Amino acid sequence: MPAVTTELVLEALRHVQDPDLHRDIVSLGFVKNLNIDGGAVRFDVELTTPACPVKEDLKRQCEHMVSALPGVTAVDVTMTAQPARGNMEKRTALLKDVRHIVAVASGKGGVGKSTATANLAIALANTGAKVGVLDADIYGPSMSLMFGIIKAPEINAEKKLVPVTSRSLKVVSMAMFDEGEKGVVWRGPMVSQMIQNFVHNVVWGELDYLLIDMPPGTGDVQLTLTQNAPLSGAVIITTPQDVSVLDAKKGLRMFQSVNVPVLGIVENMSYFVCDECTKKHYIFRRGGGRRIAESLGVPFLGEVPLEPEVAEGGDSGTPIVERRPGSPAALAYKALAGSVASSLSILSAGQAGLLGSFDLKWEEVPEP
Amino acid sequence: MMIPASLHRLGDRTLLVTWNDGRRSEYDVRALRLACPCASCVNEWTGERTLRPAQVPENVRPVRLFSVGRYALGVAWSDGHDTGIYGFDYLRRLNPALSGAETLETPVSPKPPRSEHL
Repeated sequence: MPAVTTELVLEALRHVQDPDLHRDIVSLGFVKNLNIDGGAVRFDVELTTPACPVKEDLKRQCEHMVSALPGVTAVDVTMTAQPARGNMEKRTALLKDVRHIVAVASGKGGVGKSTATANLAIALANTGAKVGVLDADIYGPSMSLMFGIIKAPEINAEKKLVPVTSRSLKVVSMAMFDEGEKGVVWRGPMVSQMIQNFVHNVVWGELDYLLIDMPPGTGDVQLTLTQNAPLSGAVIITTPQDVSVLDAKKGLRMFQSVNVPVLGIVENMSYFVCDECTKKHYIFRRGGGRRIAESLGVPFLGEVPLEPEVAEGGDSGTPIVERRPGSPAALAYKALAGSVASSLSILSAGQAGLLGSFDLKWEEVPEP
Repeated sequence: MMIPASLHRLGDRTLLVTWNDGRRSEYDVRALRLACPCASCVNEWTGERTLRPAQVPENVRPVRLFSVGRYALGVAWSDGHDTGIYGFDYLRRLNPALSGAETLETPVSPKPPRSEHL
């Protein structure tokens, strides 16, 4: 008499199809708790709804397929149901140990937003904080390059993404899934879905700051992120020209429309100091960032000078804060990190009595 | 923007929102379900409400209440509906009867002041 094995039983059950999902119940993962004791086979079939109209039929098919195996003397099938979880279920759970989520945004591309994110992350980490970086610039992800990361994140047993650790930073970037220079050619809904996954399916663990490098502009993806991630605040990067400033305004309005506080505006590429003299050359005009901050009533967080080494640092995987800590740009980023940290503390103190991020069952809502 | 300072449950079918300005709004949960602003309950183009009261069970209850970003309350309902996102401004507007001065929080009794239902 041949021995009854798990493989044989599963092989037999592969012939049983769920009529709605058009796939066999084994590959759907419906077969649970398989137990073989000599010729007695016992298992559960877990359906997605207890009201499955074909439940009895499926049960008969399972019994039929398994009892036909040589050596099987008894088959005991228990039909159970685990309702499919709503997509909104518990999605904030993985972010519960993240104290502050900060979006780094810009109204248009090319203003040095990713460079600023990378340097800000290192500057914050250098103060002893636990920092994560989510590169959500889905069309032009660059954080892997900025930090010199070549690894891909791992997927753990719960099918959650584990960030790559570089220095003390936890990093997840779309670039980690991109094959070389193909670039990402995706339609909007897919991108929004992906972004949601990035925010809600990554095991960030305990973090003081999670920086999100946003895609430039104020489109669908940006709005999705802004609406769904429990953002503590946003930093808007601009360059001094009026056109950039105009776009920064749009970004600001987007955050305000969903009640995300704008921590302030940073003016990048403010001035250039050449090798020969110490004079600050204001190449792209002067003071645009400060003007817009003043006109919109948000803090001006500072100017970051244009230095060739900033770009070199980014390209070589060692951001300027790390590469030349004493340079004017590095000092500017450190000052920025200080302002961001302090405005977040002030904001959270001001919101102490307010409802933060929550996810409660109706029964758990307290009675007064 | 108005932000809730706290959420409470008054019995089985009333949600009490206390706002950051101290005002309190009470919502009958079924009325809140019927006021769902989502695209499957309201025609996105015309603004016409497509959800009919008869479609919602009398005993509908929230299953979960969750924050959406920083601007809205999300509710998953016992009738399986979970796409409703109540922006705080919308939620506040839903209950204009409660914007009067008499509903400002003045803790005189252990029970919260009763106010008109939605």
